[in-house]
Amino acid sequence: MRHPVYRAMLVGAFVVLAGIAISQEAPTGDQNGAQKHVPYQNMTPEQRAAATRTFLGLGAEPDKEAAARGTSLYQQSCAFCHGPQAHGATGASLITSDEVLKDDHGEHLVPFLKRGRPEKGMPAFATMSDDQLKDISEFVHLQVEEVANRGTYQVLNVLVGVEEKGRQYVAGRCVPCHAPGAFVHIGSKFRSPEQLQRGWVWPARDGDASSTAIASVKMPDGGAISGRVTQVSDFRITLVDRAGKTHTIDRKPGVKVDIKDPLAAHQEMIMTLTNKDMHNVTAYLETLK
Amino acid sequence: MRLPNRACTAVAIAALAAAALAFGQVSPHLSTKVLIDPDGIGKAPITSWPTFNGDYSGERYSTLTQIGSANVNRLARQWVYKITEVGAQRGAPVPVIKSTPLLANGVLYFTIPDHVWALDARTGTELWRYDWMDRGGHLVGQRGVAIWKTTVYFLTPDNWLIALNANTGQELWRKNYADARKQYFSTSAPLVVKNHVIVGVGGDAMDMPGFLASFDPVTGDLQWTWWSTPRKGDPALNTWPNEATSEHGGGMTWMPGTYDPELNLLYWPTGNTNPVFAGQGRAGANLWTEAIVALDADTGKLQWYYQVSPHDTHDFDNTTAPILFDRLVDGKPRKLVAQAARNGFFVTLDRVTGKNLIVKPYVPLDWSSGLSPEGEPIPIPDKDPTVGGSINIVNASNWPAPAYSPKTGLVYVNSVEGKAIYYLTDDSKEPSGYGGTGEPIGHSQRVLQAIDPLTGNAVWTHSYPNLNNAPTTVGPSILATASNLLISGDDQKNAIVFSADKGQVLWHHELDANESGGVITYLLDGKQYIVFGAGDSLYAWSLPQ
Repeated sequence: MRHPVYRAMLVGAFVVLAGIAISQEAPTGDQNGAQKHVPYQNMTPEQRAAATRTFLGLGAEPDKEAAARGTSLYQQSCAFCHGPQAHGATGASLITSDEVLKDDHGEHLVPFLKRGRPEKGMPAFATMSDDQLKDISEFVHLQVEEVANRGTYQVLNVLVGVEEKGRQYVAGRCVPCHAPGAFVHIGSKFRSPEQLQRGWVWPARDGDASSTAIASVKMPDGGAISGRVTQVSDFRITLVDRAGKTHTIDRKPGVKVDIKDPLAAHQEMIMTLTNKDMHNVTAYLETLK
Repeated sequence: MRLPNRACTAVAIAALAAAALAFGQVSPHLSTKVLIDPDGIGKAPITSWPTFNGDYSGERYSTLTQIGSANVNRLARQWVYKITEVGAQRGAPVPVIKSTPLLANGVLYFTIPDHVWALDARTGTELWRYDWMDRGGHLVGQRGVAIWKTTVYFLTPDNWLIALNANTGQELWRKNYADARKQYFSTSAPLVVKNHVIVGVGGDAMDMPGFLASFDPVTGDLQWTWWSTPRKGDPALNTWPNEATSEHGGGMTWMPGTYDPELNLLYWPTGNTNPVFAGQGRAGANLWTEAIVALDADTGKLQWYYQVSPHDTHDFDNTTAPILFDRLVDGKPRKLVAQAARNGFFVTLDRVTGKNLIVKPYVPLDWSSGLSPEGEPIPIPDKDPTVGGSINIVNASNWPAPAYSPKTGLVYVNSVEGKAIYYLTDDSKEPSGYGGTGEPIGHSQRVLQAIDPLTGNAVWTHSYPNLNNAPTTVGPSILATASNLLISGDDQKNAIVFSADKGQVLWHHELDANESGGVITYLLDGKQYIVFGAGDSLYAWSLPQ
């Protein structure tokens, strides 16, 4: 996180991530990547859920404690018809139910449940207390939340590959470029197998020579400057030379820019990498702890 | 329930004019009444820009030539209107203008979520502002208003169609057309066609069906509704497992469509299928999501469809504009429609019949095994999101407007080349909501492409250098002009004018933010202006006197 390049890449990655995960746009941060909040990828699960909830304009937030109390009541009295997660079974899904969605905290659902819907075969729950029915309502609202608020989603177990095939891929495709010992302990360098998968397919630009784009700039007067690229556009390039000095150069006619990106080989690999190879390599690297 | 609290701060124009006079800012032309002749809507925009795309074609092409390659280097900023009185909005720390402004009788109308502005186009001075207090909905963007006679139409995040007096900003009426509690939300600009105000809707968090609705411009009465997924008795139901999945199948209509007055057909792009990333509970093609549909403008009846992404599982959300143009093909005049789709395919169809002429990838992709007998891309099941992760492309385009120039015969689109890992997070038999996620992997590169719609091949491309990934969901729109200009921009705050025939950079200017809305042009007092939003500011450009 110390190098501007890395931070810029991370922010860029975040914006695109959110763009994919969320149809129309990102939950926080502005379009130019000037983050005023914690980047989405660095948030705790709770922060992610809250940021996405705000972004989506979801309704009242479910009371999680009440929902926990309502879990067993729901499973005993409701799950048979509406499914264990309220996605529906012999009865309707409650996730998109009008009765559920017009309720905030039981003010509609408690009297509704007391009455039941005998004409459609739903019994009355007249013997349950208001508090119990409210707890059931909150349990149902939490199930809705876990569908509608994609900030709550968790990637499942990505270790689905075959270690031996992954070892063969690494020996054939990775070792020729990387030093033989490059992958020792790689499995313990990431928080999760998902992060490992992401990290080996596209290594973070952490500022060292193996991941930093280097530019050579030739000026019209014959002078030359080279260094670590921090940003480049059609009209300007900014780089930091060996002495640590930042140069911002207008790309006027006659200025020649040549950029060498050590991650170019990974970019090429990504464009053709198969899912099986990706899974196998991740499964193998996870064993290198 | 939260209490309704609708602050409508539009003030009578007389009062504002008086206030403006006191500061010496008012234009002598302010007394001009805004009145748009409905019969003129859809003609080539010259002294007005009365629809989202300028006309009905979606070409975003101007016949104006005052600003051309010989003098574009003298382009000068005339005024800037910066939004200062709206702070952070829910989920959006800074207001971003994603609308295409409309121009009518010297008045510019532009929007952000919950707010409409009317500006004096000669000075950039505010004439009135309308503020809405939403009760839910998604404040992700607002694409602009529609105008008919003396009425402006605006859609709110919580799905109200609001009619405003174009001259004063006073609210005339409002109609609610979808429930924000079901995660329907609105960002679109309505489209006025004859005596119809056509309204599309967004919202894919909760497996709701998409629809398009038509309202009476005077009374706001509902005229027709077209649902994006079939109901009982419709043969298209055989593309879904059952009625329930179809009724929860998505297909939102959140970008304005285009219209052919001769055929009286609307061409609407339909959004992603639901559940979004988890397709295991909805085997089949899932009509009419992810399609271009041709609808009768008076009845909303479906005339034909072409499904760009059958059984989509990647949020390919087919909302990029379908552009209408006429060309000779094998010596015969043809009415065509083309789209640079978000799934990476460029398609050109006959817009009378819906039959395809060209279906070809315009970015590197490997998710399709070929075309069906109907000419639709066949997805490869191995590319579907999985628990272990599945690599596929990022969206190749998005809502920012493409363009077409009849002079060059080329379609212009800011595309994105890159990959993402898609994970299935709900692997149950009957998933709900998104059911998965997509994370970009590697570098995503933005590339401006000039595509020949009769071959599907790019005639020229321009890769915007950038160390950062291209944001797929925000980015400059495009405008083409008869003087061979192509006006767009990069992701590093530069407005850029290219030559339309060759893609040479003719001019650029660094703004305070990336261009974020539609680019328009018009003649006002005999002078050609170029206007667009970038971040929280609306910029007006012209040649110096």
